[in-house]
Amino acid sequence: VSARLPLRTQRLVVVTGKGGVGKSAVTAALARAAAAAGRRVLAVEVGRGRLGAALGVPTPLGLQPVAAGSGVQAAAIEPDEALGEFVERVLRLRMLARRLLESTSFQVVAAAAPGLPEFLVLQTLQTWLDARRLGRRVHDLVVVDAPASGHSLPLLAAPQTLGALARVGPVAESLARIGERLADAAHTAVLLVTTPEELAVRETIELHDELSARLGLPCAPPILNAMPARRFGAADAAALDRLDAHHPHVLAARFLLARRREAMAQAAALKRALGTPVTLPFLYDEPESAAGIGTLADVLATASDLAA
Amino acid sequence: MTLPELIADRRVLLCVGSGGVGKTTTAAAIAAAAARRGRVVAVLTVDPAQRLKDALDLRALDGKPRRVPLGRIPGRLDAMLLDVKRTFDELVRGLATTPEQARVVLENRLYQNLSSTLAGTAEYMAVETVYRLAEEGEWDLLVVDTPPARHAVDFLDAPRRLLALLDSRAFAILKDPSTILGGAGSRLAQWVLSGVIRGLERFTGIGLVGEIADFIRAIEGLTEALRARVAAVGGLLRSDASRLVLVTAPEPRIAAETAELATALDGVGLAVHGVIVNRALPRTLYGPGAPDPGPVGAASPALAARLARGFADLRTLAARQAAVVAPLLATARAPLLAEVPLLASAPGSLDDLTVIGRHLFPDEIVGGSAARGRGV
Repeated sequence: VSARLPLRTQRLVVVTGKGGVGKSAVTAALARAAAAAGRRVLAVEVGRGRLGAALGVPTPLGLQPVAAGSGVQAAAIEPDEALGEFVERVLRLRMLARRLLESTSFQVVAAAAPGLPEFLVLQTLQTWLDARRLGRRVHDLVVVDAPASGHSLPLLAAPQTLGALARVGPVAESLARIGERLADAAHTAVLLVTTPEELAVRETIELHDELSARLGLPCAPPILNAMPARRFGAADAAALDRLDAHHPHVLAARFLLARRREAMAQAAALKRALGTPVTLPFLYDEPESAAGIGTLADVLATASDLAA
Repeated sequence: MTLPELIADRRVLLCVGSGGVGKTTTAAAIAAAAARRGRVVAVLTVDPAQRLKDALDLRALDGKPRRVPLGRIPGRLDAMLLDVKRTFDELVRGLATTPEQARVVLENRLYQNLSSTLAGTAEYMAVETVYRLAEEGEWDLLVVDTPPARHAVDFLDAPRRLLALLDSRAFAILKDPSTILGGAGSRLAQWVLSGVIRGLERFTGIGLVGEIADFIRAIEGLTEALRARVAAVGGLLRSDASRLVLVTAPEPRIAAETAELATALDGVGLAVHGVIVNRALPRTLYGPGAPDPGPVGAASPALAARLARGFADLRTLAARQAAVVAPLLATARAPLLAEVPLLASAPGSLDDLTVIGRHLFPDEIVGGSAARGRGV
């Protein structure tokens, strides 16, 4: 019984989780899997991270989408940058906008409108989702490598946070539309990535509660990344006792056994709280290489409705 | 400088690094080692894993230090949770001259947003607590597990930035927009800033002007006191009484973040005194120089093959790790203080801390009084 990731018709997939769980690798693999199924994909990184590396793009990602292999484009967006652009647009005087943004007191202005930078990020995503060329969509699917849990909450909560303050004007209208689309399971899927480690699992469960119960966002089954493979069975464990305990191969096997046992316990805790996860293997060789991402993409394609 | 030297006679040891690298465990293991050497130590931690929390008996965020039962040791170890959310309000209460002044600030919506969203504020408050405890003088040594910083130096650089924000000249821009364009004529400046604010108001539908004015009125009376405090906290961190070590893990993302952190720390005048690498596979066993041990005798061919494969996987991982750590040390221009091996499961007991302590302090005779007083 394996979980199913909803990717076939969704337009927006947001990948989040604790820092260091492999969000960028999962985002890149999802993009590759969806592109292989014929969807035109835009992979977007919010902030500065490792998505470019995972997609094999040699130059830093920016607001202008660049080609990142067959059927995949990649871009990056920074909330502060988005705020700067917004002020420049409102001001129409680039020089003065710069001066203002550089002044510390601008933080006070920004704090008066919490969620504004995040809203601007969501609005940019929206622009990409709506982009059309010659009557057809430019991107079928936008996959977002969101910031680590603590910082992806402000991003996904922006329609609520800012919406509570901004009740009239263009922002309010745009917010309402974005909020609706984020909450629509036919349009959006939020994927929580974790590793089989205590802190990561705990944070994922907390994040799921926030996103699902409080914000009403459609969360897909969790993704359990970097799960060490089962290498040795119970019979092996007994056999190991009869071998030279100091032999490096035996030490390695004991280590792998203990690591697998711990990972299984954490996987069980995750399953109890959030249901059966989609499990991705721990890769001993470079997980962000093209081969590593390819391996993960194959697993994700099988675990999703892409092939159906 | 070696790790034993770092804990011998300083008052504050900051463990800095990305989230999830085992900073808390490292801080606790270092603190336990210092206590075994006879020092009166407190380890201050932000968000420990449940099992470690249990081991250290950290039940509640009540700001009270709890004695860690290490048995008969020459020193003493207390553990305490740092509450990064509450203390900013406490600071405002402490610095306000009247309860009414504190109330006006605390109830201001802009203050509430700023105190939780101004980059680095939460991190700064952790450091503020450290300053307070150092002032109290109950402990010889405070080992601090710092909050994972979003932007590299938020938690340490926050004093300077908070100061910059509270600096009356910065606020003056909002009070008197002519300062933003120094010399360009106040009418133009006034027009520009009010243009910005009106533009923002129109787009967001929020009454910004009134809110900002309220906030400035509320916080103004506190600015001087806050400035003095912030300067004192920054002073402690840069003084000879404080030492800073980077905690990292041999993974590309984490090492890259740590290298960035090292550069940023350097940029704000904070020296890194060493690097501790967690979750490393032992080089002697799996490192590129380790000899190939050959197949295990007496194992069935099938098992022997799987054993060889498992060993080969760990060697691959070890090679990847080595390639990641070397450039980090070059960037940080700091010595590698210790490598702590990847444990099969997350550390969750005082015994685990002792095991980690052996890797951090390989020369120490653990548990006894042999090392007592060295360098103190």
